[in-house]
Amino acid sequence: MKPLFEVKDVFYNYPKQDEDVINGISFKIYKGEIFGFLGPSGAGKSTTQKIMIKILEDFRGDIYYDGKSITEFHNEFYEDIGVSFEMPIHFSKMTALENIEFFKQLYQNNADTEALMKRVGLWKDRDKMVGEYSKGMKIRLNIVRALLNSPKMLFLDEPTNGLDPTNAMILKDMIREFKEAGGTVFITSHIMSDIEQLCDRVAFIVHGEIKEIDSPRNLKIKYGKREVTLEYQENNQTQTKHFALENIGQNETFIKLLKEKNIETIHTGETTLEDIFIKVTGESLHDNG
Amino acid sequence: MTMGRLRILIVGELSRLNKYNVFSISILVAIIWSIVLFFIDDTMLSSLLPFVLLVDASLMSVMYIGSVTYFEKIESTISTLLVTPITNSELVLSKVIANTIHNLFSSSLIIIAFYFIRDIELNFLLLFFGLILTTMFFTIAGLSLSYYQKDFTSMLMTIMALSFIFLIPTILYMINILTWEGWEYILLINPIQAAEQLIGGGFKGAIYNYQYYIGLIYMGLGSVLLYLFHTLPKFQTYAIRQSGV
Ligand SMILES: Nc1ncnc2c1ncn2[C@@H]1O[C@H](COP(=O)(O)OP(=O)(O)O)[C@@H](O)[C@H]1O
Ligand SMILES: [Mg+2]
Repeated sequence: MKPLFEVKDVFYNYPKQDEDVINGISFKIYKGEIFGFLGPSGAGKSTTQKIMIKILEDFRGDIYYDGKSITEFHNEFYEDIGVSFEMPIHFSKMTALENIEFFKQLYQNNADTEALMKRVGLWKDRDKMVGEYSKGMKIRLNIVRALLNSPKMLFLDEPTNGLDPTNAMILKDMIREFKEAGGTVFITSHIMSDIEQLCDRVAFIVHGEIKEIDSPRNLKIKYGKREVTLEYQENNQTQTKHFALENIGQNETFIKLLKEKNIETIHTGETTLEDIFIKVTGESLHDNG
Repeated sequence: MTMGRLRILIVGELSRLNKYNVFSISILVAIIWSIVLFFIDDTMLSSLLPFVLLVDASLMSVMYIGSVTYFEKIESTISTLLVTPITNSELVLSKVIANTIHNLFSSSLIIIAFYFIRDIELNFLLLFFGLILTTMFFTIAGLSLSYYQKDFTSMLMTIMALSFIFLIPTILYMINILTWEGWEYILLINPIQAAEQLIGGGFKGAIYNYQYYIGLIYMGLGSVLLYLFHTLPKFQTYAIRQSGV
């Protein structure tokens, strides 16, 4: 299958900085998939997104959209994509609706923004100045703005950052629906659960390098330990023992414990994606790592 | 470039000038000038009105475009515009046109006030022609200038400094303090001097000598060259830096 987006050996250094912050990354994004970039703060996620959306132009390497180098595209490229930056951005002294209506006029295709605003619960506040909006409301309006041209592909930089769980859920549902309607998504996050719940494939990025790319499920099979944890009574004390899930039926110690001891709890445990991230990259997803 | 999108951007820019109270400020400035001019006597008026219009079209144009870019900077709105189908030239041109319209509006208020309150004779066609060219030149120059300013305060300081350098010699020359003949030629490189010639051309009794035509070329060709070789090509880098990217 031909990828919709292909990034090949891309390097980037910011103007007047000698050191590259993107160090030769390569990946493909196929039509209809949600592709995630998981990495700690400063890893290069936002920089990569800005390179892909043609905001930072002096990169080295090749990037193709729909089989054509992005450097050959002019502004028609932006008819096809929707972007949300790390920070929600609007004209604060205009109402939410005025903001949306202004941006809508700039595109050939328009989505049903009334439905979108209702979906994120902002329709009743459409005539409020964006400056009076809470952080969460601004983030929700930002996603409406990213979708208002019915894009083929969405670029979302840390979209759930700063949202409460309920609104984060609505947002994730919207991203899934976008995919189900045939859309393709590039999403960055440092939050493991977002990536795990949404992404078909995820790239682990640290220090501008991709350490691993695969589906969350395959990563778990490849790196995860699946194990059984037993808690049982012995000498009036609770004891804990771990067993590998593989061939557990042939594990004599395990069977003996089951037969002879007073079992308190049995759990199967999976390694989380976060554990796998640390294992693969040697870095923590959170700061001070 | 599409005319439709350019029109949308200009309308948007003008409505934002209104929402962010830049319009109200320019009305206020026009009222203040009108009051000042109302109380001065006839002999002073004939030299002060051109001077007020000159300041309005030159320094105030730079101030207004500076405040517009300042608002955009604190809201980072340019980065959002960069990922729409708008081209950079549409974006820059819409700013230049909208701000020229806005500033002409404030100049017109002053002129109208005078036309009715005091008896002045004007060649409206030449006056507006001069005001449009001057406002356009200084708006383009102001935009380029704002690319290099850290914040609004540094923008103000730069404008102050430039006013001293460019405005003072022109004033001194206007009121016959700089009497040495050579000044006539030295001042040809001064954009304020060029603007003064063009705006002065709209008043009764103006002399259309070679200085007037040099002023015309300076403001006209200068606008085009500045736009093509600086304001437009440097816009992308500025917009990216400004939006924190
Ligand atoms: N405008 C800039 N100028 C110079 N360096 C930058 C700039 N923006 C980001 N960086 C650096 O590039 C690296 C990657 O940053 P970024 O892409 O924002 O990471 P992430 O989005 O993963 O947190 C960091 O080391 C950051 O300090
Ligand atoms: Mg980031």
